[in-house]
Amino acid sequence: MSIEVQSISKTFGKFKALDNISLTVGGGRLTALLGPSGSGKTTLLRIMAGLEYADPGSGKILFHDEDVVNTHVRHRRVGFVFQHYALFRHMTVFNNVAFGLRVKRRSERPSKEDIRNRVHELLGLVQLDGLAARYPHQLSGGQRQRVALARALAVQPKVLLLDEPFGALDAKVRKELRAWLRRLHDDLGITSVFVTHDQDEALEVADEVVVMSQGRIEQVGTPDDVFHHPKTEFVMRFLGEVNTFHGRVDSGRVQFGPLDAPYPHSQQQITGEARVFVRPHDVTIDTKTNGLTAMSAIVKRIHSAGSSVRVEVLTAADQTLVAELSQDRFASMQIETGSTVYIRPRHIRVFA
Amino acid sequence: MAGTVAIRVGGGRNRHTSGKTESAFVRWTLISLALGFLAFFLFLPLILVFTYAFGQGVKTYFAALTEPDALSAIRLTLITAAIAVPLNTVFGVAASWAIAKFEFKGKNILITLIDLPFAISPIIAGLIFVLLFGARGWFGPWLVENDIRIIFATPGIVLATMFVTFPFVARELIPLMQAQGNEEELSALTLGSNGWQMFWRVTLPNIKWGLLYGVILCNARAMGEFGAVSVVSGHIRGLTNTMPLHIEVLYNDYRFTASFAVASLLAFLAFITLIVKSLVEWNVSREHMLAVRESESEQS
Repeated sequence: MSIEVQSISKTFGKFKALDNISLTVGGGRLTALLGPSGSGKTTLLRIMAGLEYADPGSGKILFHDEDVVNTHVRHRRVGFVFQHYALFRHMTVFNNVAFGLRVKRRSERPSKEDIRNRVHELLGLVQLDGLAARYPHQLSGGQRQRVALARALAVQPKVLLLDEPFGALDAKVRKELRAWLRRLHDDLGITSVFVTHDQDEALEVADEVVVMSQGRIEQVGTPDDVFHHPKTEFVMRFLGEVNTFHGRVDSGRVQFGPLDAPYPHSQQQITGEARVFVRPHDVTIDTKTNGLTAMSAIVKRIHSAGSSVRVEVLTAADQTLVAELSQDRFASMQIETGSTVYIRPRHIRVFA
Repeated sequence: MAGTVAIRVGGGRNRHTSGKTESAFVRWTLISLALGFLAFFLFLPLILVFTYAFGQGVKTYFAALTEPDALSAIRLTLITAAIAVPLNTVFGVAASWAIAKFEFKGKNILITLIDLPFAISPIIAGLIFVLLFGARGWFGPWLVENDIRIIFATPGIVLATMFVTFPFVARELIPLMQAQGNEEELSALTLGSNGWQMFWRVTLPNIKWGLLYGVILCNARAMGEFGAVSVVSGHIRGLTNTMPLHIEVLYNDYRFTASFAVASLLAFLAFITLIVKSLVEWNVSREHMLAVRESESEQS
């Protein structure tokens, strides 16, 4: 089922949390709302769920073409997973998962037998079947997260909304749970939206990424799209590390520092003052000039404990740049702290 | 209450930091000082109350408790508590719910208002009701016309008691509910429960011990309140005297044994309250300990 957000605004006092947001979330897809804290991503998620109300008269929320703005949260049939899980602390795992089934109206409520089967089926799905009698405080963070998910799925929601689903977990569990969530989504095919401030998480797990900043949507696209073709400076900066240069665009060429490059034709054309961005992995380091235009710099720091090597250099213009190169290339170059190197960007992006 | 629990749990850990403990002399001096103080100001009076009460034999003791005026005072005290405590429980839960779970203008004023009965003298609390409902009070003429008695009657006593004991439940619940937040309630809503189901199945189980604790304190005060009730009661024997007032009347009549007999009954009620309160505290800390132990054994 698709979710359509049409020109929704939300203000808290004088703070504009959401500024005329419109967005379509495709049915059956896993969508990430990505942004820094204060970008409005959680507010948007809570408005979709009905836990928060948009400013009066500001727009519509459509669930599969049906306006749900005036539908109370308990009738929206959304599965909502809170950042800190919000499990019922005085109930066992079993009772937590069964809650949504037990509060149904008598005419719709499944029999005790059916409830038990359904709960065990769900606990099997989230791989927790042996822990039905435990209380939330007896579970690890990752287990609590999965109970919260099973509880949300018990009422067969039309959409699944997750607020920072991995935010409170340690790095290793987070990685495992990410991959698991992706698989679960592929199995269930339920329209899902999750909020995150971690770009790796969004890029790895989601079908579609919505990048948000200051209550606005900066860009919507596939992970490849937003990473390789950022539409705004914000997206460029937020999705990974960048080196920034001040430059000028003139008659199809970009000048920055001692360098000069053709204007990237995939981008909207601008002229005059501009800022030039280069990702560290798009920076080439050489020990010789090779006759090409390059920027000379001195190696300040080498960080080689990783899948790639990070080299921090200081240019003649006193600017610190970061380059990332493969272990093999690094080994073949024989550079060390203090060496003079030549820097050349392979791929640039220009924003006014 | 949460504080007590935390201290008890933390106690085990502090044992290892023996470098910080005082010398034996200082410790025993402080402990005996504290105990001596307690003995003099708490236990001695209590013992005296019971000694005087039984001073002229068990027969006189029970006679003092079963005379009509005493029975009427006991009945009135129980009636007052039976009305004031449940109502204050409902109001307290409602007020703390509003304060802990919602943001609204004037919230701080509401919190201050809840504390007001603690801040002002009970005598003034009583006077407020006399000024409102007394024969020359604001609503006095109207009440007289309609033949409704509030001051110098049971309704006035209940009102004054409710006013004085209002903060106990709310004060206990507000910090607890604020600490728990409202995400569990919101979860319940997204899972399709209505407000009623949410309250009975999620909110109430989470606050039950704090609530019980508040109710116990509220009850203790409701039975023992003297000042405010004294102002509105009118001291009509066998009619508007509660137990504390009856004790005073007896004492002023130089009927010391009878006075102490009723006092001992009140002290006995307080005693039971204390025991129940300790049981509640014990239960909470035990649940907490069990939880900690279980989660620890889980990890090892």
